[in-house]
Amino acid sequence: MCASVKYNIRGPALIPRMKTKHRIYYVSLFSIVLLGLIATGMFQFWPHSIESSSDWSVEKRSVRDVPVVRLPADSPVPERGDLSCRMHTCFDVYRCGFNPKNKIKVYIYSLKKYVDELGVPVSNTISREYNELLTAISDSDYYTDDISRACLFVPSIDVLNQNTLRIKETAQALAQLSRWDRGTNHVLFNMLPGGPPDYNTALDVPRDRALLAGGGFSTWTYRQGYDVSIPVYSPLSAEVDLPEKGPGPRRYFLLSSQMAIHPEYREDLEALQARHGESVLVLDKCSNLSEGVRSVRTRCHKHQVFDYPQVLQEATFCVVLRGARLGQAVLSDVLHAGCVPVVIADSYVLPFSEVLDWKRASVVVPEEKMSEVYSILQSIPQRQIEEMQRQARWFWEAYFQSIKAIALATLQIINDRIYPYAALSYEEWNDPPTVKWGSVSNPLFLPLIPPQSQGFTAIVLTYDRVESLFRVITEVSKVPSLSKLLVVWNNQNKNPPEESLWPKIRVPLKVVRTAENKLSNRFFPYDEIETEAVLAIDDDIIMLTSDELQFGYEVWREFPDRLVGYPGRLHLWDHEMNKWKYESEWTNEVSMVLTGAAFYHKYFNYLYTYKMPGDIKNWVDAHMNCEDIAMNFLVANVTGKAVIKVTPRKKFKCPECTAIDGLSLDQTHMVERSECINKFASVFGTMPLKVVEHRADPVLYKDDFPEKLKSFPNIGSL
Amino acid sequence: MQSWRRKSLWLALSASWLLVLLRVFPLLRLAVPGGPWASAPQGWPRWLDAELLQSFSPPGELPEDALQLPHAPRGGSCNWEACFDVSKCGAGGLKVFVHPVAGPLSAAHRRILASIESSRYHSASPDEACLLLFLSLEVPAGECSPLPQQWNGGRNHLVLGLHPAPCPQNFQLGQAMVAKASPTVDTFRPGFDVALPLLPEAHPLRGGAPGQLRQHSPHPGVPLLALAEERGGWRTAGTDPSVCPWDGRCEQDRGPEKTHPEGALPNATFCLIPGHHPDALHFLQALQAGCIPVLLSPRWELPFSEVIDWTKAAIVADKRLPLQVLAALQEMPPTRVLALRQQTQFLWDAYFSSVEKVVHTTLEIIQDRIFGASAHPSLLWNSPPGALLALPIFSTSPSDFPFYYLQLGSHPVGRFSALIWVGAPGQPPLKLIQAVAGSQHCAQILVLWSSEKPPPPRWPETAVPLTVMDGQRKVSDRFVPHRAISTDAILSLDAHSSLTTSEVDFAFLVWQSFPERMVGFLTWNHFWDEAQGSWGYTAERANEFSMVLTSAAFYHRYYHTLFTHTLPKALRTLADEAPTCVDILMNFLVAAVTKLPPIKVPYGKQHLEARPPLVPGGREPPPAARDCINQMAAGFGYMPLVSSRLRLDPVLFKDPVSVLRKKYRSLEKP
Repeated sequence: MCASVKYNIRGPALIPRMKTKHRIYYVSLFSIVLLGLIATGMFQFWPHSIESSSDWSVEKRSVRDVPVVRLPADSPVPERGDLSCRMHTCFDVYRCGFNPKNKIKVYIYSLKKYVDELGVPVSNTISREYNELLTAISDSDYYTDDISRACLFVPSIDVLNQNTLRIKETAQALAQLSRWDRGTNHVLFNMLPGGPPDYNTALDVPRDRALLAGGGFSTWTYRQGYDVSIPVYSPLSAEVDLPEKGPGPRRYFLLSSQMAIHPEYREDLEALQARHGESVLVLDKCSNLSEGVRSVRTRCHKHQVFDYPQVLQEATFCVVLRGARLGQAVLSDVLHAGCVPVVIADSYVLPFSEVLDWKRASVVVPEEKMSEVYSILQSIPQRQIEEMQRQARWFWEAYFQSIKAIALATLQIINDRIYPYAALSYEEWNDPPTVKWGSVSNPLFLPLIPPQSQGFTAIVLTYDRVESLFRVITEVSKVPSLSKLLVVWNNQNKNPPEESLWPKIRVPLKVVRTAENKLSNRFFPYDEIETEAVLAIDDDIIMLTSDELQFGYEVWREFPDRLVGYPGRLHLWDHEMNKWKYESEWTNEVSMVLTGAAFYHKYFNYLYTYKMPGDIKNWVDAHMNCEDIAMNFLVANVTGKAVIKVTPRKKFKCPECTAIDGLSLDQTHMVERSECINKFASVFGTMPLKVVEHRADPVLYKDDFPEKLKSFPNIGSL
Repeated sequence: MQSWRRKSLWLALSASWLLVLLRVFPLLRLAVPGGPWASAPQGWPRWLDAELLQSFSPPGELPEDALQLPHAPRGGSCNWEACFDVSKCGAGGLKVFVHPVAGPLSAAHRRILASIESSRYHSASPDEACLLLFLSLEVPAGECSPLPQQWNGGRNHLVLGLHPAPCPQNFQLGQAMVAKASPTVDTFRPGFDVALPLLPEAHPLRGGAPGQLRQHSPHPGVPLLALAEERGGWRTAGTDPSVCPWDGRCEQDRGPEKTHPEGALPNATFCLIPGHHPDALHFLQALQAGCIPVLLSPRWELPFSEVIDWTKAAIVADKRLPLQVLAALQEMPPTRVLALRQQTQFLWDAYFSSVEKVVHTTLEIIQDRIFGASAHPSLLWNSPPGALLALPIFSTSPSDFPFYYLQLGSHPVGRFSALIWVGAPGQPPLKLIQAVAGSQHCAQILVLWSSEKPPPPRWPETAVPLTVMDGQRKVSDRFVPHRAISTDAILSLDAHSSLTTSEVDFAFLVWQSFPERMVGFLTWNHFWDEAQGSWGYTAERANEFSMVLTSAAFYHRYYHTLFTHTLPKALRTLADEAPTCVDILMNFLVAAVTKLPPIKVPYGKQHLEARPPLVPGGREPPPAARDCINQMAAGFGYMPLVSSRLRLDPVLFKDPVSVLRKKYRSLEKP
């Protein structure tokens, strides 16, 4: 009995309104049909599976099993790199073609093992880091497996470290790649260039036109705007976890941790230590370590042993001195520790210097001035040091911490060059997330007072109060700077009055009919709006004088990036309820103006319609309320500035009620508007509204001065 | 019972389904690798032995590089570290000496010389200077101006030419830096040479024409594209630019288009500039016109590219992808267009509109290189008011300046320092001190005693610290960046100013909303006097104003640094001679930086002291003072003052509501 009860509950939910007998019948029929379909499908595709299954197993291969390619001794060698190469001379952008996403397509050649005629390998097949790098590219949006659609080619020949390869044979291997074409659109990743004795600052492998993403470029070998300077990856980035340490003074002011320093430089550093004592620490290799302790992870000063890289976190500034090569892996460790690198390597092109602003994270000191380094650093104000410490750590997190980060930043730089109009901005590359969140970039940042002659467009939102509407039109048309009047007819059930019935005014009058009765129609960026200034006005605001409106426009000209409006409102924090509250009483402060009568820049119409965060727009249309609060939030959020309330307070005929026809100004309405503020604050994730205690009046307002000499005498009269 | 059977039936059915699913789907996946189910690319294989791969640099190799000393730079080529001797520039930083030029000078050259001499880096002696400037002249082909005597292999020399003249390349440059107009990318040495803009022959010395942009967003009727013509003019394409790519060979259906004569500025949203050398003039024209320059693979280095982030004001595109570039321009979001347009105007106005700005920018770049860590941060170069007006000697932290609070999400310090200047009569302003000290926002009071009489030994007890400083009996002394000033805001006062505490409180709150402007109580207005053909100003009350008196005004302390370090000495001397001029000068300075009018707040005593206290005698300023506005305008090269028609009052100011509700009720007392 029990079971059947259960069944009765559950049954209908599965297949409702069907008798049991029929249900079984249908279910079996359905399954048979489906099975049949699957069988046909399998039959159709089966023949392919035999050859493709071998492809499938590729993933299970070992590096040792990759195909071997024998290079004949006389196979062609590419030309040496062309120093005059630039993107517009050596790079074939046609291959990047039209791409709606503005993202380049990157192809990776499959892995091969190259041997010379005698069967001796050209290099190690692939290093762990290069494998990681190719994996990162392959997992990214840039990757394509279609060689014909690719814009950039990455050989799988590993040239990260020049010491591990044979130069001529590697070049021959590059030249025989299927799309090599003199290296056009190929990128080679190299972190350790050059070799003894002269240590070139760029990879010695002849590579013709190929781009080089190299660590340790000097200004002599770096082709600005073509090559990419990358960091030398430090394996300690992955091995050691250094928790972020807040900025501020640290135990040592200056620290040198490198082990292989030229004796002359070491002398200089030790002289510094002798002069400044405790605040400078110069570390060296540990000479008397017991077996088993990794020398990479320890440093010594006299008999004191320090853990590396942890000791870097004890210093404010850390020396990054050139070795035989310009690029040093210690730079990565130093940034990792949030220590400000003091780069002493003349002509070194710092990693990603094309996009990263190293002045914000490092101090570059000429080698010649090494002895003065201490005084140079001491002249930097503490606040700047702290900003640098933060910035250093952020650079490591974003661009140094993994091979993947290095690979993606490199590709992004190349991508930015090919699609410059979609490039990342300076701020996107350089500002740490905390700064990005706190800062405001005003879309109308240029201090510019638009000419008065431009005038403004008045937009009247109306539903069916024709008589009141006509009065508003007549009143507004008296304002000298009005250049056009736009009536937004929001009533779909009723046609606007005949053309002949409208008041005759001196400026063009346009009626726009809307498809739906929505409040957001008032903020739509209509093509008819030709002026920058927009006056939003309700169809029952007849109490504003021509002087007041003209003055409002003049105020807007001085503050074109703000909402300039008449009735002001305030938001308050309700400590009892722990939430925001809407306030329309006579207060000493304002944070919003009602858009029943307000001037603003027409760009905000675009923002309201297309860039309003979250579901605010729909919420406003559904509730038929708070479109003005939403606009106040939007403008304050994007400009970081307060509204300007103009002219004294008047008895407005319940401005709040105009939003909804006939609704009276009662308690529920206020509650609803408080809710709006709370809702919007949660969508914006912050409270963008700014509270101010001032309003704008004409210069001589209420001054003891002859009224007829005042520009705007008729202000504030009731 | 029946239910049991049904249940088992269901169970069997679902079990068989599960089996089918499990068996068939992997097969399907195998079967159709290229089919719709497996469209994702296979990518780089996951090697079985990936963990066993060796690192690219075996442990130990990385830190222990072989030892090697740097090799000398290759002959002929130079970079900053190798070829410039910074040690010659002592603690004072950059000092510039110009080699005297032999031969006749053109007007353009005289302008360059004049701008260098007006620079604060100028030095009259070659021994004191650390940068020696050699002006390269455009002489008839083949001839070159002879090298100066103290050439010294070109070390610490800058060869300056406003034209891409062929001459400097011919003579032995040695280690000299080259600053010339639109250098080609191939010969330009980044970080060493300086790229200048190509200026038209008649470029003004100072001031210069303002940007043409009158509104932030493009007017709806304006054409999208203007194309630079080879002959020097512009051609605006019709509404549909796609019919006519820029190669100039539009065969059919050009649509409505116009050509503009040479010299006329383009009126379009984007200006396409092919990027050949002669187009460099077009670039500056577009910039001035607020027409976003779209450079099609230029072979020349963009001007001041070392410090200016051109991606914010121009688009460097590749002419090999015409359709793509056009599509990108057409679909560019309004937000980006808006930002680019405004940036063109800012850059034009900050660095290019006059010869003086171009030359000073060049010197500022070299000064930044010498300064190293304490150079201008990038933000100062690339946002208003620009690096010539934001001095790193004040601070290298942008948040100390009044201009970047919004960008950095910070605020000015919420207190102010009152700086009271006591002039000739030498009366201690006791009442004023009490009124100011009563403000809750007051952090300190500084009395700058500039009277012949000795200051009184005893001062009233105040809630805030009071410091008396000995002034130098000069009016401009009050705008010296005194070390004692500890807050961002300064309330500048005269001994005979008269303010109430609530006036001070309200004005300070207003200033916090406009930290880059001056907020004052008493105002003057300037006007163009048609009869005299000169500028004039009046202290009469009017519907407009453009200056606030510094005898009672709030402003950011940065303006003291700017006043002392950037203003030409001649103007400061002028201000010392005629005390009213100092107000005008300060207002000129702030207006030139902000391009905005000052702000007026209500002042209760206005009807009593309608005329400003600094003007002795009648309502009109004396002739000497009258003249100083014209001398200032000449010194600035233009009239920076902007008029305003509004005053900021408390929200409930004189409203018909109970006085008890009002916070600043004392402001309303007659």
